Amino acid sequence: MMFGYNAEKIRKDFPVLKQPIIYFDNACMSLKPVHVLKKMEEYYTKYTACAGRSSHRLAAKVEEEVDLSRMEIKRFINAKSAKEIIFTRNTTEGINIVANSIGLKKGDEVLITDKEHNSNLVPWLKMRNKGVTLKIARTNPDGTLDIGHFSSLLGNKTKLVSVVFTSNVDGVTNPVKHISKIAHENGSLLLVDGAQAVPSMEVDVRNLDVDFLAFSGHKMLGPTGTGVLYGKESVLDKMEQFIVGGETVIDTTHESYKMEELPMRFEAGLQDYAGIIGFGEACRYLNNVGMKKISQHESVLNSIITEGLASNPKISILGPADPKERGGVFSFNIKGMSPHEISRILDASKGILTRSGMHCVHSWYNSRGINGSVRASLYLYNTEEEAGIFVEQIRKISGLSV
Amino acid sequence: MVLCLIALPVFAVMGIFSFKYRKLALESLNCLLRTATFRKCRSSLDEQIKGSITGKLIRLSPKASVFVYRNYKILSFLALLLFAFASYGSAVGIYNYVQYGNCNGPEDVGFCVLDPTGQNSKLSELDIDIPTKVILPELEANDPIIGPKSAELTVIEFGCYACPYTKKAEPIVEEVIAYYKGKVNFQFKTMLIPHHAASLEAALAAECSIEQGKYEQYHSLLFQSQTGLTEDSLVQLAGSIGMDTGEFKACLETQKFKDEVSADTLQGYQAAVAGTPTFFVNGQRITGPKPFRTFKTIIDRELKK
Repeated sequence: MMFGYNAEKIRKDFPVLKQPIIYFDNACMSLKPVHVLKKMEEYYTKYTACAGRSSHRLAAKVEEEVDLSRMEIKRFINAKSAKEIIFTRNTTEGINIVANSIGLKKGDEVLITDKEHNSNLVPWLKMRNKGVTLKIARTNPDGTLDIGHFSSLLGNKTKLVSVVFTSNVDGVTNPVKHISKIAHENGSLLLVDGAQAVPSMEVDVRNLDVDFLAFSGHKMLGPTGTGVLYGKESVLDKMEQFIVGGETVIDTTHESYKMEELPMRFEAGLQDYAGIIGFGEACRYLNNVGMKKISQHESVLNSIITEGLASNPKISILGPADPKERGGVFSFNIKGMSPHEISRILDASKGILTRSGMHCVHSWYNSRGINGSVRASLYLYNTEEEAGIFVEQIRKISGLSV
Repeated sequence: MVLCLIALPVFAVMGIFSFKYRKLALESLNCLLRTATFRKCRSSLDEQIKGSITGKLIRLSPKASVFVYRNYKILSFLALLLFAFASYGSAVGIYNYVQYGNCNGPEDVGFCVLDPTGQNSKLSELDIDIPTKVILPELEANDPIIGPKSAELTVIEFGCYACPYTKKAEPIVEEVIAYYKGKVNFQFKTMLIPHHAASLEAALAAECSIEQGKYEQYHSLLFQSQTGLTEDSLVQLAGSIGMDTGEFKACLETQKFKDEVSADTLQGYQAAVAGTPTFFVNGQRITGPKPFRTFKTIIDRELKK
C-alpha cells in the first residue's frame, strides 16, 4: 500500500461502488463522487438559469459558477488564462474544432501516430477530402512511439502534429514534451489527445508547451457530455470559428456579425451548465486527492496485476513489459479465448467490469491482425485487494482454454 | 452462429415486451444473415452468451465450467436440436389446440397447457379395460338420428343423458348440424355411465320416446332437465311434450329397450370409448366436448373425400 493514500476512504464517496462490483473500466468512463453529483444537483435545484445572457440573480450565480469551473480547470492543467479553456462535449469535439478551425488547406500535412483513437484519426481522414495529406508515424512492437520515424515524417508542409498523450489501448504515454519541441522546431502546431492522460497524471500545458490539449470530463470523475479544448491564446486568436450561432457573436446585422471574445466564440449555443459546474468540482476533487498520488496508485495496482500474470504463458500483455510504462491500463489476451468471452466471464463470475474489443482504435488492431483485447483500467478508488481478486480470476479463466 | 439461431426466435418473442431484447434479436438476425452469406459475424453475441454461461458456472463448479467452455460448440448444437424439437412440439401442440381443442389432438383428453382447466377434454370416464381389438361402431337403423334424417355424413355420438359433458357438447352438435345445412347429422348411441344416477333410466326413457315419434324433442329436454332425474320426472317430461304418459310409463317400467341400450354400451366398449361424450366421424375419434372448430376440421376433410 502506498503511504498516505487511502483508497478505501475515497471509495466511500462513490455511490456506484456500494454494489458488489470491481470497476475496472475507468479508461472508458469514470465513476462520479457525491461531490460532483451534489454540485450538479445544486444547479438544477437552486440556480437553474442561463449564463452570459440574462442579468438576474440566478443568471449571475450560474455565470459565477461557470467562471469558477473554468478557473479550476485552468489551474488543473496550468493554463495561462481562463480564456484558453473552451468547454466542449468531449475530446472528440475538441479535436474536430481544431481540425476545422486552423485553416487546413490543400497541400498541408497532418502527422499522427498509428495508435490513435478513432477520434484522432477520422477527423484527419476526412480532411483528405480537402487535399490535406495524412502522415502516420509507426509505433514499436512494445507500443512506444518510433520517434525516429516520427521525426522523419515531419516536413515543411506539416501544419499540425496530433498525437495521443496516453494510449487507451496499452497505457503507453508518449513523450509529449519531446514531441512538442521537435514539432515546434519544425514550425508545426501540436494538438494532444489528453483523454486518458489528464485524468491520471499531472499535466502542465505550459511546461509541455502544447498548442492544444483536448480532454473529457467523464473520464475524470466529471459528468458525461463534458470536455475541454485547451488552446494557447495566441493560437486561438488566429483560428476561424467552427460552429457558430448564439453566444459566439457580440453583435449582428442582416449582413454581418462580430465575433465574441475568447473562449465564448468557440462555445456555440446554450451550454451544459450543470455539466460544466460538475466538471469543475471533479477537478477540485482530484486536486484534493493529488494527481501525483493517483498516478502512483494506478502504477502500484498495475504492478500487482502484471506481477501476478506476466509469467502465465497463456497471457499476452499489450504494451511494454514494465507496468510503470503502462500507467493504469492492463490490456491483455488469453490464448485460445476471445476478448469478449473473457470480459463476460469476469463479469458473470466475480462482477469484474472490464472492456473488450478494439477500444475505438480499430486501425491499430487491424494493422497488427489482433482481434481486440480485454482492458482493465484502474483509477483512484480501485484497491490492491481488487487487483488481487482480478489476478486470481484471470488465472482461473486461463485454465478454461486448451 | 448456432446460438444466434436459437437466440433469434427467443429474443424476437421477448422483444415484443422489452426493447432490450429487440436489440438482441436484431443482433442475432444480423449475425445469422452474415454467417449464412459466408461473412464474418460482427456481433459478439455468441461469445458473450458463452462467457456469461461459463462465468456463472465457474462460481459453482470450475470443472463443469472447463467442460462447458471446451465443448461449447457441441453443447450449443445439442441445445439447437433440443430447441428445434421443442419448437416442433410446440408448433404441433398449438396446431392441435387451434384445430382440435387439445394440444395432443382430437382423441386425447390429457393435460394441455393452452386449455389448463381441460374444458375441451372432460369426460364422464368409464373404468374399462381397453380392448385389444378395437371395433369401430357402425350406424344402426334402430338408433335415433339428430338433425336431418338423411345426410352425406353421419357422426356417431356415444353419450349419456346424465353426463354433464355430453350436455356441454349439445350446443356444439346443434351448431354443426346448422352449419352444414343438411349435409351432416348425428346418430346418438347411449353409453351407460354407472356412477351417474339415472343414467340407465334416462337412456331407457329416450328409447321409449322413439316409439312415440318424439325423440329429438325429448332428447333435448332430457339434457335441459339433467339434474335430479327420477322415474316420475321422466314420465312428467314425456307428458309435457304430448306423449302418452301411460304408454310411456309402461315402456319405462318394463325396461322394454334394455337390450338395445346394453347393445349400444357394448358397442362403445368394443370401440374403446373411455367416456362420454365420444364421437366418431368415419372412424376418426373426437373425445370430449371439443370446440366447433375441431368438428369442422375433421368433417370438412371427410366431406372432401
